[in-house]
Order: sequence, then C-alpha cells, then structure tokens
Amino acid sequence: MTLKRRLPEALSMSLLTALLTLPVLGVHLQVEGLKVALQGDARPVCIAMTAVFLARLFQEPLKQAYSWLNLGRLLPGPQRLATYRTPLLTLLVGAALIWPFFASRGAVDVATLSLIYVMLGLGLNIVVGYAGLLDLGYVAFYAVGAYSYALLAQNFGLGFWECLPVSVAMTATAGCLLGFPVLRLRGDYLAIVTLGFGEIVYLLLNNLDSLTGGPDGVKNIPKPTFFGLEFAREPSTPGGVTFHRFFGLDYRGGDVVIFLFLLALVLVLFILFVIDRLIRMPIGRAWEALREDELACVSLGLNPTVIKLSAFTLGASFGGFAGAFFAARQGFINPESFTFIESAIVLAIVVLGGMGSQIGVILAAVALTVLPEVARQFQEYRMLAFGLVMILMMIWRPQGLLPASRPRLELPQ
Amino acid sequence: MSTTFLGFIQQVINGLTLGSIYALIAIGYTMVYGIIGMINFAHGEIYMIGSYVGVLVLTALTLLGLQSVPLMLLLTLVVSILVTSAYGWTVERLAYRPLRGSPRLAPLISAIGMSIFLQNYVMLGQGARDISMQPLIAGGWRFGAEGGFQVYLSYMQVLIAVVTVIFMALLTLYISRSRMGRACRACAEDREMANLLGIDTDRVISLTFVLGAALAAVAGVLVGLYYGKINPFIGFVAGIKAFTAAVLGGIGSIPGAMLGGIVLGLTESFASAYLSTQYKDVVAFGLLVLVLLFRPTGLLGKPDVEKV
Amino acid sequence: MKHVIRNRLLTALVGALALAIGGMAQAEDTIKIAIVGPITGPVAQYGEMQMNGAKMAVEQINAKGGVNGKKLEAVLMDDVCEPKQAVAVANKVVNEGIGFVVGHLCSGSTQPASKIYDEEGILMITPAATNPDITKQGYKQVFRTIGTDDQQGPVAGNFIADRIKPKQMAILHDKQQYGQGIASEVKRTVEGKGIKVVLFEGINKGQTDFSALITKMKKEGVDFVYYGGYHPELGLILRQAREQGFDARFMGPEGVGNKDITAIAGPASEGLLVTLPADFTQDPANAALVKAFKDKNLDPSGPFVMPGYAAVQIIADTIAKTGSTDPKAVAEAMHQSSYKTPIGTVAFKDSGDLKEFQFIVFTWHADATKTPVQ
Repeated sequence: MTLKRRLPEALSMSLLTALLTLPVLGVHLQVEGLKVALQGDARPVCIAMTAVFLARLFQEPLKQAYSWLNLGRLLPGPQRLATYRTPLLTLLVGAALIWPFFASRGAVDVATLSLIYVMLGLGLNIVVGYAGLLDLGYVAFYAVGAYSYALLAQNFGLGFWECLPVSVAMTATAGCLLGFPVLRLRGDYLAIVTLGFGEIVYLLLNNLDSLTGGPDGVKNIPKPTFFGLEFAREPSTPGGVTFHRFFGLDYRGGDVVIFLFLLALVLVLFILFVIDRLIRMPIGRAWEALREDELACVSLGLNPTVIKLSAFTLGASFGGFAGAFFAARQGFINPESFTFIESAIVLAIVVLGGMGSQIGVILAAVALTVLPEVARQFQEYRMLAFGLVMILMMIWRPQGLLPASRPRLELPQ
Repeated sequence: MSTTFLGFIQQVINGLTLGSIYALIAIGYTMVYGIIGMINFAHGEIYMIGSYVGVLVLTALTLLGLQSVPLMLLLTLVVSILVTSAYGWTVERLAYRPLRGSPRLAPLISAIGMSIFLQNYVMLGQGARDISMQPLIAGGWRFGAEGGFQVYLSYMQVLIAVVTVIFMALLTLYISRSRMGRACRACAEDREMANLLGIDTDRVISLTFVLGAALAAVAGVLVGLYYGKINPFIGFVAGIKAFTAAVLGGIGSIPGAMLGGIVLGLTESFASAYLSTQYKDVVAFGLLVLVLLFRPTGLLGKPDVEKV
Repeated sequence: MKHVIRNRLLTALVGALALAIGGMAQAEDTIKIAIVGPITGPVAQYGEMQMNGAKMAVEQINAKGGVNGKKLEAVLMDDVCEPKQAVAVANKVVNEGIGFVVGHLCSGSTQPASKIYDEEGILMITPAATNPDITKQGYKQVFRTIGTDDQQGPVAGNFIADRIKPKQMAILHDKQQYGQGIASEVKRTVEGKGIKVVLFEGINKGQTDFSALITKMKKEGVDFVYYGGYHPELGLILRQAREQGFDARFMGPEGVGNKDITAIAGPASEGLLVTLPADFTQDPANAALVKAFKDKNLDPSGPFVMPGYAAVQIIADTIAKTGSTDPKAVAEAMHQSSYKTPIGTVAFKDSGDLKEFQFIVFTWHADATKTPVQ
C-alpha cells in the first residue's frame, strides 16, 4: 500500500512533534530553593511522537473512518431548521420552565449563568452578526450594566426592577457615546479600538475607588424581588414580607436560585422577541445590507452613521440587561469579572453559533458555559480542552453550528 | 544638569527599552495581518514559549558549565528561534490553514482558542509558578554627579536595543531583497494575483508565521534575561500591548510596527513618570483611540482603497 | 509536577467513576469537608499552600481513626479565585450536601461564596482571606484562622513610624483587594503619626516593567517604600530598583514573605522588611508536623499552610466534642471553645475572627531566610 510512501513524512512530523513537546512537556523547570533545576521526563514526548507518527502513517484509513462518521449530518440544515423553529422553541421553553423544580441547585445555577451568556451573545450578535462590526470590547457594556445597577442599589437603595430600565438606558447611552467616535474606522481598526475601550473601562472601574469601590467592588447587591416579595429567611427591612411567608411555604434557599433562573429565562425570551421584530424591520434589513456592502448601502441612500450607531446602541443595551442581571445573581461584583477574556468568550459564542443566527447563539452559549462546568473534575485539563474544542469546532464548522439562513437568489453561472 | 532633565533622560531610556520589546512582538502581528488579514491572537503565547525555551536552554547551559556569555546568548537565541519557528509553523498548519477561505471571523476564534490552549499547555508542562533566574549580564554605565541623581544605562538595555536593531535590519533586508521577501510583498499586495502568477502562497504564509515567531522568540529570550521572571501568563498581556503597537503604527506595515512599539513604550514610561502608574494603560489605550480617530489607518498605514 | 498531575487525573477519573457507579455505598460513613481554593490559574501556588495544610490534617486525623469512628473526606474544589466560579463552587457544595468548607483563598471569591454558605447553614473557615469585611457581615458560621488586613496594616504602620521614621515615604500597591486594602491601612497609620507619604500609587496586574516608577521615586528622593501586594511584583521592583541604584528600604505584608521573592530579586531582597504571622514551623511543638510535611516533600513554611491545617483540625475537634455533624451546633460550640493548633492556642470572637493573631516584623535575607526584628 501507500504506507511506505507515507513513512518519511510520518517520521519528519514525529520529529517535529519532538521539537514541539520536548521543551514544554519533556523538560521541567523546577524551582528548588533559590535555584532553577531541570528535570527530564521522556514519557509524554514519546507518547506524543508515537501518536503523531501513527496518525500520519495511517492518515488515509483514518480519513475514511472520519468521513464515514460525518458528524456534520447530525445537525439540521438551515432550511429545515427554519420550519421547525416555532415548535422547537416552544418545546425548549416549556422544558426549561418545568426543569428547575426537579434539578439540583448547582445545575440550575449553571443554567442561569449560561442564560446570562445567552443574553450577551444575543446582544453582541446584533453588532457582529447583523451589522458586521467586529467588537472586541463588548465586556465594557456588560460592566456598565452591572455597575450601574450595583451602584444605584448601593447609593440610593433602589431595587432591581427600578434599576433595570435605568441601567439599560445607561448602557445604551454608553454604547452610543463609544460608537460615535469609531464610526469612521473600518474592520479590524474598529476591533482594536473597541478592545481599547474595553480595557479603559476595566481600568477605570479598578482605579476610580471613590465611585466604584476599586478592586473591592460592590458588595451586598440586592436580589430581584417577586412583585415586592423578597427571597430571604428574614425580610431585610422591618415590616417587609418574604416570599415564603406570603405563600405560607417553608423557607428553602434553593427557591431564589430557581426564581433567578426563571427570571433570566423571561429576560432572554424578551430579548429574543425584541430582536426577532427588529431584524424584520427596515433597520434590521439595513444592518445586514451594511454588513454585506457598505458602499452599495450608501449609494442606495441609507445613512451608515445612523445604522451603525443603532446597532451599537441596541447591542450595548442588551449587554446592560445581562450585566444588571449578573450583578443581581452574584450579589457582589468587582472589576475582575469584566476582563478581555469575557469579550473573547462572548465573541466566540456568536461565531461558534453561526453569525446572525439566534438559535445557534443560544446553543453555543449553553455549550461554552456548561462544558467547563462538566469538565470541572479534570482540573488542569479543563481550560486546555476548552481551547482545543474552540479550534476543532471552528475547523469542523467554520460557518458556525447553525448558520443563519437568508432568503437569497443566485444568478445561474 | 538638573535632576528634572536627568530624570527625563532616564525615562526616555526606560521607554525605549520597553518599546524595543513591544516592537519585536508587534512585527509578528503586523506581518500575518498584512498577508492574510487576520489577528493572530496566539502570537503572544508564541513569545511566552520562546521565553520559556530561553530560560530552559540557559539553565541547561549553566548546568553544563559553559562560561562564555556571548556563546550562551547565541546558543539560546538559536534554539529558542528554532523551537518557536516550529510552533509558528505548526499553529498555522493546524489551526489556520484549514480555515482559509472560510468566514472572516472563523480564524480569529480559532486563534483565541489556540491562545487559551497554548497557555494551559505550558502551564501543564511547566506549572503556573513563576520561574525566575538571576541576571546573566549585570552592570552598566552611570552618568551624572556622584551623590546626585544618576542616569543609569545597563548593558542589558543596550543589548536589547542592539539586538532589536540587528534583527529589524535583517528582516527589512530579507523582505526587500530576497526572492521569498518579494513573494511576501506580492502576497500582501494581492494574494490571489500572486497565486496566479505562480507564487506558492501557502509557503509564503508559512514563512510569515515562522518569521514572526522567530522575532517573538528573540523578544522572549531578551525579556527572560532582562526581567528575570516568566510565567505562562506573560504572553497574554504582552500580546495585547504589542497588538496595540502594531495597530498604532499601521497594521500591515513593518516600519509602522517598529514605530508603534517605540511610541507605545515611551508613552507608558512618561505616563507612569508624570501622571500615575495606575493610569498608564488608560493613557496608552487613549492615545491609540486618538491616533486612530485622526489617522484611521495608524501612523504609517496605507489608506484603504475601497474596491467596488 | 508530573506525578502530581498524573495522580490528580487518576483521582479525577476514579472520582468520576465512583460517582457514576453510585457513590451512595460509602457516602454516609465519612464526614465531607470541602477544601476550596485556586487549583489552577495565576494564584494556584497560594491555593496549594492551603490545600497542603488542610489535606495533611485530614490524613493525620484519619490515620488516628477519624472522628467519632468516621473518616474525614477532603473534597477539593477549584474556584480559580474568580468570584463567578466561586458562586458556582459554593452552589456545588450545597448540592453535594457538604456541611463544612475550608476556604476560599482570595477575599474577592470568599465574599460572594460566604453569603451562600450563610444562607444554607454551611460552616466556613477561611485560612487565607484577610479582608476585614468578610467577618463584618453578621454571619454566624463564618470563621477565619488568619489575621486580617486591619490587624496587619497598623503593625507595619507603627513599626515604620516608630522605628524607621522615613523622611519621604512611598506606598505602592497592586490594585487588588488585598494589596490596596493593606496599603491604605498602612497609609492611615503612618499619616496619623505625622510621616509624609509623597507617593501613593497602584501598579497594574501582570506588569513587568517598573523602571519608570522607580526613576520617579528616585527623583523624588524617596527613602522608604511600603508595597501592598504579592511577591512576584515586589520581586521585580526590588530587582529593578537595585539595578537603577535606587537604595530605599522596602517593606511588605505576608503576601511577599515567600522564598520566591529571593529567587526573583536575588541579592536585592536582603534587608527587606516583612510582617508575617509568627513562623509556626519554628515552634518546637510543631516539630513532628514539620517533619511530616518534609517527609512528603511538601513545604510547611508558606503563610497559609498551618492555618489550613488548623481549620480542618478545629472542625474535627469540635465534631468530636459535640458528637454532632450539624454545622449549626458545631459553629455554636466553636464560639465557646479554645483549641490547641499548630498556629497556637486559638479562640474565636463573635465575628468569627481569631481573638488573637500576632504579626511580627521580620528582616528578609538574600539566602531566603528571615530573622525577627528585635
């Protein structure tokens, strides 16, 4: 067979592997007292070399096995998905409504976290997926939302429901203000400026001690109430009524977790509904037109400034939603929750899901938050696997899990 | 000479040293961007690996009892460049090449994934602890009156500047004179056209990654020697800074990356000296935003020509 | 390292398998203690100190037959020192029905987690989080086996004002909760005693180049620097200061009192002043314990090792005494008792803080040893 032909290639690849793994896995730098000593360990290197050698040698049979497996067929195509969309969503929402009453507290909590990322993903999807503006500093809006709720609650004693519209309005303003100067920039220059803004917001949160509490963050942020009913063992204000007393139930700490989950679900459905309407409106069409061809867009009489700004503002305001909810869920925020890696993960959610696809974004958000939790047992290997999965997913489906389908007509060649 | 003036000179020296390192890393970003138009987020991690290899080789050489400092330095640079080049090549081959021709953001996400992967891979192999080493080259020159404020220029700082200039010059020569360099420029101009004219663009792209990684290795070794402390997280911070420098100078332009690095280094140094250290990054990013507002393609970037 | 990794993977796999096959068989025979801290991430090495101490206590107690005939079971959990993950871990602790927690390490992750433990009636002892606010929330079942920043800050501040009397003092910190908190305490104390602080400035996390800052201090004629933060940054500052010929004296909190600072700064670490808890490894009563650590090739000298050990021991002792594994009963008994532990004889205030915890000023030496300042 062709094994003989493949041998030299397999050998050289295996040598390359040795070069790659030897300095990292093969020799360990060890701090012994004040000196750094070296300790060799040939095993990982040998294993890696053998694995690569065999994989290259039997490349063809492996490829055949893989093509037989064809994971791609498991996912429905965009057209088929569109027909099933409504029943699928109804089923999912129905399941999500009942599920938390049977699931464990930890699981519900992780699910709530993934819903926060769903909100973030949906918000960023407007900017990146629909309007095609690469934003690497989305975390800035998330932070503005979280801090505006936290600070309003701390300084003026306002509750979640009063603050939610205010913090969404503040994030929208922030989005508009940040969006304004960067409109002239194209493509990746826009990306780096938004990255810069994200960093600046983080640094300001950390440095403006008198306003934001600096690295101490904001503590004791109140949880949302259920029509004025608190979830606590004892009411925080004298004369207040707690949820469990009002309904004559026993106090269970898990109740608030379930309530937060359901609240997050409602917020997500609200955002989904709004975006669904928006993209059918002229403004939504304009976003997509701008993404496809800015010059053509301008020639047709659309005002790119308004289109870009509206995308930035709306995208930001959903980030604000997520931020305010995050602050409420956590009860404590500090600047460490708003670093660049958050922006990167939200962006990964949008791209992995399939840009401009709502269901895809939801799927990817759930996958990227639940995966690290499931892998928690593997400790050191957790983030390693996370990075690897990101690469493999992109190679497997560069267009995303469930790319958006657009009605289109192609001219015959 | 007054203390104020001497202090200023010292800050310029500090800024130039920092800037040289940023510039070396920034070139990797700018070259890759110039040719395939993607932000290679994993580049910072390549620099970090270069740094680890550098410390590893130096430790090994010390254990072997080598005495000559120039020889040690040379060997370290050679091995480190060799290993990081292999990484640059492999990363491109595995994570980016399969994505050629796919949507614009796919390689970006793959790069972020690669960055997370490499960081944790090194942490797995070498641990999360700081690895530190004592200076190989100590000492320097002092200027100024005895007892008063003295400007200090260490041998290491001079070495960083000299090595940076040498490698930049070599790179510039290579890009402008050699056959492969010409192919690189052709690809940057128009990849499809270059391909049609018989240039093996895949090879050129591989070469770009290798060259970028090699310069990152040089920066990594110099940083390991100069600061004497490395950990698996240094790549991320330096990567963002170097990327900022590349954009500041005009991404895609090699002289731009050098200029951007120096400007960024000086800015940080002055912001730290005359404002406050905790606001130096705010100033650096603020400067970036300002420059881009008035020159949307960076200091030395070519203005985009809109093609219909 | 490789053995550790392989063992951990094995433990994880075996753990997963045990869970899958149904861990109910022996679940009731053990008393579970969750040991939470950063196992991965940039501060993992501090997490390791706490975990080593706590694990050693669990092993030794089990070797002596456990508590009331039941073995202790250490459940290690990783919060990476991130508040977000700490909440997830805390919920997991609730989930698994664990009643006792030793952790968390970072103040930022301890705060949101302690709120959940309080709501769920779980007992928590942190051997490492030093932020004063943690025990000021009125939680009845939150304890601490380490001193707080507002105990340590004044010790350092008074020492500087009474003994050093600097003319131009600078205070730096790392803009983290711990570093900035303690630096502010020091500033308040020295300024109260009339010392002039000419510079109070934060540095950035992950920063490696401090040359500009050092030049600035040199120009201002600063003769004493207090640094609030951890050793990696101070190590670099010391090294670069020595290089530039800036010869002020430096001082830092227990976060810098680590052998690694000498590994980074080399000879520049000579003469550094550090406030540390008394060196428990020097206590003759701990000789056997120190040997047990050394036999296992573990370092007993980190600041959180012995507090970690003490936390587990206190829980075990109280369970043995009260005969109850109900966290509420244990917490009530803890408020009333005193314990003989490797960190000395301890008793708790109503807030959950130690009644007494002493910080001592040490001089650090270039061979990574330290001597108490007379």
